[in-house]
Amino acid sequence: MTDITRRHFGFMAGASLTALGLPILSAPSLAQGKPRVVIIGGGPGGATAARYIAKESNGAIDVTLIEPQKTFTTCFFSNLYVGGFRDYKSLTHNYDKVKKGGVKVVHAMAASIDRDKKQVTLAGGGKVPYDRLLVAPGIDLKFDSVPGYSEKAAEIMPHAWKPGAQTQLLVKKLNALKDGDQIVMIAPPNPYRCPPGPYERVSMFAHVLKKKGHKKSRIVILDPKPAFSKQGVFTEGWEKHYPGMIEWQDPKIHGGIKGVDVKTGEVKTDFTNYKPALVNVIPAQHAGKIARDAGLTNQSGFCPIDAASMKSTVDPNIFVVGDASIAGDMPKSAFSANSQAKVAAMVIRSELTQSRAFPARYSNTCWSLIAPDDDIKVGASYEPVDGVIKASNSFVSQRNESADLRKQNYKESVDWYNGISADIFG
Amino acid sequence: MRRAMPARISATRLVVIGGAMALGLIGSPAWSADVEYGRHLSAECATCHGASKSDSTIPDIHGLGEAHFVEVLRAYRAKALPNPVMQSIAVRLGDEEISALAAYFATAKKPK
Ligand SMILES: Cc1cc2nc3c(=O)[nH]c(=O)nc-3n(C[C@H](O)[C@H](O)[C@H](O)COP(=O)(O)OP(=O)(O)OC[C@H]3O[C@@H](n4cnc5c(N)ncnc54)[C@H](O)[C@@H]3O)c2cc1C
Ligand code: HEC
Repeated sequence: MTDITRRHFGFMAGASLTALGLPILSAPSLAQGKPRVVIIGGGPGGATAARYIAKESNGAIDVTLIEPQKTFTTCFFSNLYVGGFRDYKSLTHNYDKVKKGGVKVVHAMAASIDRDKKQVTLAGGGKVPYDRLLVAPGIDLKFDSVPGYSEKAAEIMPHAWKPGAQTQLLVKKLNALKDGDQIVMIAPPNPYRCPPGPYERVSMFAHVLKKKGHKKSRIVILDPKPAFSKQGVFTEGWEKHYPGMIEWQDPKIHGGIKGVDVKTGEVKTDFTNYKPALVNVIPAQHAGKIARDAGLTNQSGFCPIDAASMKSTVDPNIFVVGDASIAGDMPKSAFSANSQAKVAAMVIRSELTQSRAFPARYSNTCWSLIAPDDDIKVGASYEPVDGVIKASNSFVSQRNESADLRKQNYKESVDWYNGISADIFG
Repeated sequence: MRRAMPARISATRLVVIGGAMALGLIGSPAWSADVEYGRHLSAECATCHGASKSDSTIPDIHGLGEAHFVEVLRAYRAKALPNPVMQSIAVRLGDEEISALAAYFATAKKPK
């Protein structure tokens, strides 16, 4: 055997599912017709998986995507809408190309999963049987993690951490502010979707106020965390573009976030009572209800998965990708969800149609805009190591980078948005 | 099919790649490429490279000549080209992966 063939042989052996340490399940018998894959949730995780399974299996697998909404508005880049860099329409995508790609799209809410019978019950009562189920419902907000906050209160103090009307409400309130007004953001505890998101959003708040000529308006971030993503470069950018406007408080400074009162508009910490003109509350998060109800979550509120396949550690017929999953070092991002979906799609196809399986690899980059043409990024490659998804080759923007580089980052992020949107929705 | 380097690759990049070649970082693929493996690996690239236009900072890589493709990826891997995004992607690609990707992208069409 030559070196080359031995290498190939090693690769092939390494690629088999047994070698990856996954249980082998018998493929559904062809007598039952095509194997059926059902996907819950048409966001970056679910829609990517649906499209890749349909495309790569060339019709050999029956793919059904269950998603209540007819259009999907992305949370990613919604901060750019807040800052006035995008219009709302540019964030909204439909499922026409997903359907054209051979996916059956059922616009309904999945009400429950019967794991023994392997079927999903729709809110309308219909049943959808599956051979493999992929669950990608994103997150739900734990409103009561902030005392006094609730779904109803969000109509006055928006979270805008789920896309749609909430984001529009936030923008309306932001644009109505007068010079001298105060904004308070309550940032979320880990883990939450989009680690740099709150800080990019604050940058966009500041940009809008600065553009309106505000001199006296102030933004206070009350953070339950002692540190945050890309902190060094965010802080540098805030000092440069918005000197004196943004104050970040960690628990040592605020002493503890006591809660909000929507009636009086107050936000209370251990040390101070604020009465801001705009309050943005981003509460703690857990996996979407359907995943919790089906028993796919652990005590963390998110779904444990096998790092080599995104398969639920609870049920071998179910995969969980995106924000709902516990993906080790990977942040909860659209990029991560899209990347995880491709691994799950590959493993699902190989289990159902004996197509070739390959070792899992993941990647992620998150760009954040601080001010016009000043964009920073953080990213890494990821692989399963001892059952956990581990980061390698990570990078993050540095202080004192050139304006050209930051502008290049911004253009890159716009190209990425177009690329990933096409990858997810066609 | 092998194609000359596209005009859009900048002069500085060419110098860097030239340097990498001189250092022996760049050679020709040592085995025949596994296109199916390349197609699989290309899913990672689609997140960024799937909707490029002529003026995009993320270039279109569909139909890129294999020799150029291999050279550029090896240069990113060697950090001879600066973009950390592509470095992070390329660092974990072995020669076999790069050849497979090059063979796949040489004839791949940008998704419509
Ligand atoms: C302000 C902000 C900025 C962000 N910026 C970025 C960024 O720059 N880059 C980045 O990569 N990420 C970013 N993100 C994160 C990104 O939006 C999420 O990580 C991503 O949307 C997760 O995808 P998902 O598919 O897991 O879940 P989701 O996008 O939440 O999609 C879940 C889908 O499932 C559906 N669903 C839920 N329950 C059911 C059910 N029972 N039945 C049927 N369907 C159901 C929902 O309707 C929804 O369409 C940002 C997030 C926020 C809030
Ligand atoms: C996170 C986004 C991202 C991902 C994922 C990505 N790329 Fe890139 N790629 C870029 C950017 C940005 C550039 C331009 C870099 C520069 O300015 O040097 C680039 C440049 C390239 C080039 C140089 C093209 C030329 O003609 O100069 C090649 C080849 C390439 N990428 C291949 C790949 C391959 C193969 C993959 C998948 C294994 C991949 N890329 C994944 C962002 C990405």
